[in-house]
Amino acid sequence: MNKLYLWGIIITAAMLGATYKTITYLGKSGLNGDIINKLAVAGAALLVIITVFVVVKYVRQMQTDTATGELADESWDNIGEYKNPVPFGWAVIFLGTIVWGLWYWTIGYPVNAFSQIGQYNEEVKADNAEFSKKYANIKGEQLVNMGESVYLVDCVACHGLNADGNNEKDAADLNQRISVKSVKYAIEHGLTGKLLGTEATMPDRSGLMNANNNYAPITNKEIDEVANYVAGGFKDKNSAGAKVFAGTCVMCHGANGQGIAGMAPQINGWNSKLIVNVLDYGKVGAIGKMPIMDTLNPKQKEAIAAYVMSLSKGE
Amino acid sequence: MFHWLEKHPFLFSVGVFLTIAFAGLVEIVPNFAQAARPTIGTKPYTLLQLAGRDVYIKNSCNSCHSQLIRPFKAETDRYGHYSLSGEYAYDRPFLWGSERTGPDLHRIGNYRTTQWHENHMMDPAKIVQGSIMPAYPWLFKNKADINTAYAEQLTDAEFFAVPYNKPVPLKDGKTTIIPMAKSIATAHAMALKEAQAVVKDMHNQNVKDAVAKGDIPEIVALIAYLNSLK
Repeated sequence: MNKLYLWGIIITAAMLGATYKTITYLGKSGLNGDIINKLAVAGAALLVIITVFVVVKYVRQMQTDTATGELADESWDNIGEYKNPVPFGWAVIFLGTIVWGLWYWTIGYPVNAFSQIGQYNEEVKADNAEFSKKYANIKGEQLVNMGESVYLVDCVACHGLNADGNNEKDAADLNQRISVKSVKYAIEHGLTGKLLGTEATMPDRSGLMNANNNYAPITNKEIDEVANYVAGGFKDKNSAGAKVFAGTCVMCHGANGQGIAGMAPQINGWNSKLIVNVLDYGKVGAIGKMPIMDTLNPKQKEAIAAYVMSLSKGE
Repeated sequence: MFHWLEKHPFLFSVGVFLTIAFAGLVEIVPNFAQAARPTIGTKPYTLLQLAGRDVYIKNSCNSCHSQLIRPFKAETDRYGHYSLSGEYAYDRPFLWGSERTGPDLHRIGNYRTTQWHENHMMDPAKIVQGSIMPAYPWLFKNKADINTAYAEQLTDAEFFAVPYNKPVPLKDGKTTIIPMAKSIATAHAMALKEAQAVVKDMHNQNVKDAVAKGDIPEIVALIAYLNSLK
């Protein structure tokens, strides 16, 4: 028997012995009857045997093999090259790579490619679906709470934590429907906007006649009176302001300032649609310009409306 | 078949390089060129807006504010549509910023107004409770540098082919023309006209008086710039 084979058998036996020793040393009851342990040990034994077998085979080949075959024409600094055929397994892998490349180029990449925007779109779609499912029937106090949290993110920068718009310096005071300043501004300059959803115009003072004063254009004194009456919440029905209102504003805004559909908005209080229209179309008034809030979804706008209406409920 | 190629290693290397380089060009350049074109609706800056941009850079606004909305829902909910590379086509340099001590400003023009900026620059903490932004009262006194802005505008038009005085396509299919003055004197008049439009919505009497006198305080230019960020 060749010396090499002898060494192979000795090393195999030694390694298998070491494996056995390790197993019995680690676990008191050997393999514990566990199938995984058994498989692992069988695998270890197999690895040892295959490794030794392969090493022996190639060492043996190196010792005894002589080169044969036809030499290629080239001679690289006197080192020749045999014209060996391409190994079968290698050829299969090579062709397989080409086929895979064609698949990846035409289908694999285009269909499965990662795109940041694609991921974003999926994220938005999933979030929106979850949002509309979760809050489909939200109402009452929950809606007000949602409105408050949206308010604290998107509205607070101008309208402030107290919702008074920094004393109406930056934005409208939302604790009341309308301030004296705003009523006066509207009468003096007129207003154009989409508070009703469609473009509507309120004439300025030259177009506002008092029916109780022979249809004369509204005077400064009357403006003061009616502004206090409207901003004060339509309380004293016998005041001078109430008479001016009855003579001038009623035709469009209604007897109690409740507004008339398609004509003029409600001015004795808030309504949800009015607030949503302001968020949708913005507004220009006494204090300045209110921007369009188009990053909000319809439910959030509704929630803000509920929150704003809740602010003036206590009064 | 290719034994001759093996005998010319240098030629072979050059050939490999050219092949890979060509593949790279075909893959990368068209996409890159497409993305670098101005998006439809992106307009060149007007003179006053450029002067405001200079004020923005001078006061290092970009140290705390980014101008880059990433495509995440949390960001687009707050700031609007994510930023597109073509929207920076007329920015030299771009002001993406790398830090957000303050909020992103890339679409600030959509949700803040002239009068809000005016109050806010004077005393930010008064407008936004808990804000750590410092006040910028000197913006109301310093004069905007229209000469430099005009030089920039001229350079943009001459060397970077920014389409001043040419139709620029808008989102609604129409076009608009951003004018550029022919001389420095008309440039000043043009900037003043823009400033008057901004000042109409402002309350600070000193600023109003300055503009009426023909001066342009920095705040007016800055607001014109911020309002243009949409």
